[in-house]
This record gives sequence, structure tokens and C-alpha cells, in this order.
Amino acid sequence: MNAASKQRLWGWNHAVEAPLVRGFLMGLGVLLVTVPLAICLLQMTGKLDPQRRRELWARYLSWLVFIPLMVGPILLGAAVTIAAIALMSLVCYREFARATGMFRQPAISALVVLGILALTFAVADNWYGFFVAITPLMIVVIAAVAICSDQPKGYIQRVALGVFAFLLFGVCFGHLAYFANDTNFRPMLVWLILCVEFNDVFAYIVGKTLGRKKLAPNTSPNKTIAGAVGALVLTTLLAASLGAIVFAGTAVSGPLKLLILGVIVSVAGQLGDLTLSSIKRDLGIKDWAATFPGHGGLLDRFNSLLFAAPAVFHYVGYLQGVGLNQASRIITGG
Amino acid sequence: MDEWQYKPAQDLGTAGTERLRSVQRESGLVGLISRNLWWWWVRGVLKLTERIEVIGREHLPASAPFVIVANHSSHLDVMVLATALPLRLRNCVIPLAAGDTFFETPVIAAFAAGMMNALPLWRKNCGHHAIDTLRRRLVAEPCGYILFPEGTRSRTGQMSTFRHGIGMLIAANSVPVIPCHLQGTFDALPPGSKWPRSSRIVMRIGAARQFENLPNERTGWESIAQTLEQDVRALPPKE
Repeated sequence: MNAASKQRLWGWNHAVEAPLVRGFLMGLGVLLVTVPLAICLLQMTGKLDPQRRRELWARYLSWLVFIPLMVGPILLGAAVTIAAIALMSLVCYREFARATGMFRQPAISALVVLGILALTFAVADNWYGFFVAITPLMIVVIAAVAICSDQPKGYIQRVALGVFAFLLFGVCFGHLAYFANDTNFRPMLVWLILCVEFNDVFAYIVGKTLGRKKLAPNTSPNKTIAGAVGALVLTTLLAASLGAIVFAGTAVSGPLKLLILGVIVSVAGQLGDLTLSSIKRDLGIKDWAATFPGHGGLLDRFNSLLFAAPAVFHYVGYLQGVGLNQASRIITGG
Repeated sequence: MDEWQYKPAQDLGTAGTERLRSVQRESGLVGLISRNLWWWWVRGVLKLTERIEVIGREHLPASAPFVIVANHSSHLDVMVLATALPLRLRNCVIPLAAGDTFFETPVIAAFAAGMMNALPLWRKNCGHHAIDTLRRRLVAEPCGYILFPEGTRSRTGQMSTFRHGIGMLIAANSVPVIPCHLQGTFDALPPGSKWPRSSRIVMRIGAARQFENLPNERTGWESIAQTLEQDVRALPPKE
């Protein structure tokens, strides 16, 4: 393992070198103070009804918990980032398994967990060949092991749910972790999380103020077409302008490429959200879990990152590659 | 094409102590692994410290659902019963433990739930709702309960009367109930002592009974409790 890899994996003292990360942390500090003040101000002027007030406070408090959980590992280094994303994948799979009933299939559950761990190893090793190979191999292994119980009734459902869960929480989140193999991983990940979170916020605000027509009332009754379009426009602008800082001097810079990137973030983010909502409706549950009292499960929080991570990864990968300037196979050699 | 059947965890939406105390608690992979590690450990320790003899293994059922009832005079009882079962039965075993002893404090509740997969029975006010849930769960899951119908550990080593609560779980139900008699656990670890002493333990397994013909009401419950008590008393050889 060379010095550059070590610094990427463990170099917490380089956390705030990138301008976007510095700006983000400063902005966060400002928001942390101004948002409660703004809510109090609105409250005193009587422009807030109690229900809306409670909703705003709940959102603020949930951010207070989740932002350090999301950003802390990224600042500490690539190793902690990869470990944190692996943990998030496992917790999300647990919520999915308990909601679908997959947890009653210990053999398939164990395979999904092993698959997530294998992907984590491939990411930590920066071994893209293995990372790619795991997906088809896991499908084979899950389908094969499911035969062993010799119960054809429900076979398709068991295998399909296992593969689906592995693809969503292993492979999709694995792409998020793979960003950590790039020298530039801190600003890229902070940028991605920021844009995806703001995508939700924009959809909420625009939907509340302008929204009339529902986007998909059976899937997600609170989402409106105006919210979706507003989020698309605003997130694209935000992602492109912040992206100009993150990707300055790389093959991803240039207004057209950045605007396309912004569209990808917004559309993929909203699709991830709607997909997970569809799954919840199909299962007939309101929240994925009660992991965080009042806020549902981890999946209720990270649903928008699910599709945005692989979509952005492969767009950036197509234009310039992710992690190519770092040594590969740092654990296995070769 | 048939529709897919999803069955979310029965305890979905609960967390923390509430989940530990829920009679609907279901565990997955983590629970399965921690339970197996625990029972292997207990089995190893019992093998080293006690001399255990199991008589009548042929009476054990092939699969769940089943209920095991036994006399109770020591915390070792549930360990001996569970480790005597073959793996396929042990993996679906749920000991029913006194709520006020094992589910009051979160740490002990986490241990009882995580390591033993125990569910709480509240002795003072066990509502009909909880009993109904347990009745349904026994057949629907299916699983195997370990239950001590005396309601508490004997302080003298002598068996006392079975309470009729056992009947509420299995009356009018074809689930086999296996009576077991444990001898020597009181000498090894009587109530009040902390560490087990080496001693000879004999576990006798009797023939299974079914109570589908008895009504699910007080007369049926009492008759079940009496029958099972006689069965357990008849297991050890007369001196």
C-alpha cells in the first residue's frame, strides 16, 4: 500500500482541504444557527400553524442527527467512509428483510449479507474487476442455494427478493462506497449527498407552495408534479454550480456536462424515493422500521441516494473514471 | 399467476424495550447466529460441569409445533431442556419466561430475547390478548414452547401443582405436548445460589399428548394441567 492510498484511507487531517468541503461545513454551521432562529421568528409573527411548526422542528432535529452521521465518516477518511456505507447497507437490508419477510429465509439472508461484505472488500481493495464480478456470481449463488431447501413453492419470490435486495442495498450503495477510491472523494460525496438532500427539500418546498396536481397519488400521496419539476430545475442548477467547483479541471467540467449531471442527480434521486415508496405501498407498511423514533428507518432517509449513487458513478466514470488515479488492488496486490 | 405473499415481521414498528417485551417479536439472521452461539456455549459448559443423561429421546416430535412442559427448580432447567433438543427443534424453540423476572430491566431482557429467544409471560396480569397471540403463533410460525407450568422455581426441590395457564395455550388444539421430568438440577443450581455445582442430572422425556378434544375454557384448562402434572410425576421411577 503506497503513501497516497494510506492518506486517502486514514488521512483525517486532510479532511477540509477541498474548497467545497470547507464551504459546506461553514454553511452547515450557519444553517444550524439560523434555521431555529427563523422558525422562532415565524412562530412569533404568527405565520406558522402548530402542525407546520412541529413538522419543521422534527425535520430540523432529524437533520441534526443525520448530517453528522453522513458527513462525519467522509471527513475521517476513505476507510471509515467505506465501513460506514457497508454498515448502512446492512441496516437497510435488515429493514427490507423484516418488512418483506425475507428474514425468515436465513440462508438467503446470509448470502445477501455475505454479498454486501464481499462488495465492501472489493471497494476497500479498489478492485473494480471483482466489484463487477460479484453481481452475476451472487445471482447464481442465491438461485442455487435456494434450491437446497427443495421447496419449489415460493422459489421465484425467495430468489427474486434476495437478488433485488442485494442489487439495491449491496450494489447500488456499493457504488456510493466506490467513490471513496477517488482522490477527490470528499468533495464528490459531500456534493452528492448535499444535492440529493436538497432535491428532497426543493420538492417539498415547491410542492407545498405551488403544488396542485399529484404526481403519483397511489404511490406517494404527498408528492406533486410541481414539486418534482421544481426539484428538477433547482437541483440541476445547484448540482451544476457546485459541481463546477468539485469537478474543476476534470473531464466532467463544462456547462453542458454539468447540467446533464444535475439532471441525473435529480431524476435518479426522485426515482429512488418513488421506488422505495412503491415497495412500501406494496407491502402495506408506513415506515420501514422504528430505528429512529419518529423518523422511521434508515431506508426512509437514504432512499434518494439509492439510485443517484450508481447513476452519477457511471456518468462520472464514463467521462473521466472514478478512482483511476489511485493504486488498485491495495490489499490483494496483483 | 398467484400473488406474492409478503409477511412483514409481526413486531415491525416497535423498537427498544418495547420490541424486547413484545410477544410478537421475531428475530432474523442475527438472532439465529447469537442463539446458536449461546446454546453451543451452554452445551459445552454443561458437558464439562454436569453429568447429564437424557432418557426417552424417541418421544421428541419430528418438527414444530410442539410444547415442552417440565418441573421447575433451577435456572439450569431451560438450559438442559434446550440443549437436549436436536438442532432442527432447538432453532425454533421459544422459552416462555416470567416477564417480571426476565423482562423488567432492558439488559436482562436483551439477554433473554437475544440469546434464548424467550418471550415474556406476565404472571400477575397476563392478558388474554397475549395468550391469544401465543396460541396463534405456536401453530402459524410454527415454533416450540418450553414452559414450566408450576409458575415459579420450586424452593424445596419438590414439584408443586401445575397452574391452568398451560391449558389456555393448547386446549382445543392438536399441538403435541411433551412432558419432561428433570432430576438433579435443583442440586446443581438451586434458587439463590450463583454458580452451578457438579452433579448428576437426569432428564426424562415422556410420550406426547394432544388436547384437541378439550374445550378452550376453564374446565378444559384445569383438566389439561392435571393430566400433564400426573404425566410429569409418573416419569421418574418410584423409590
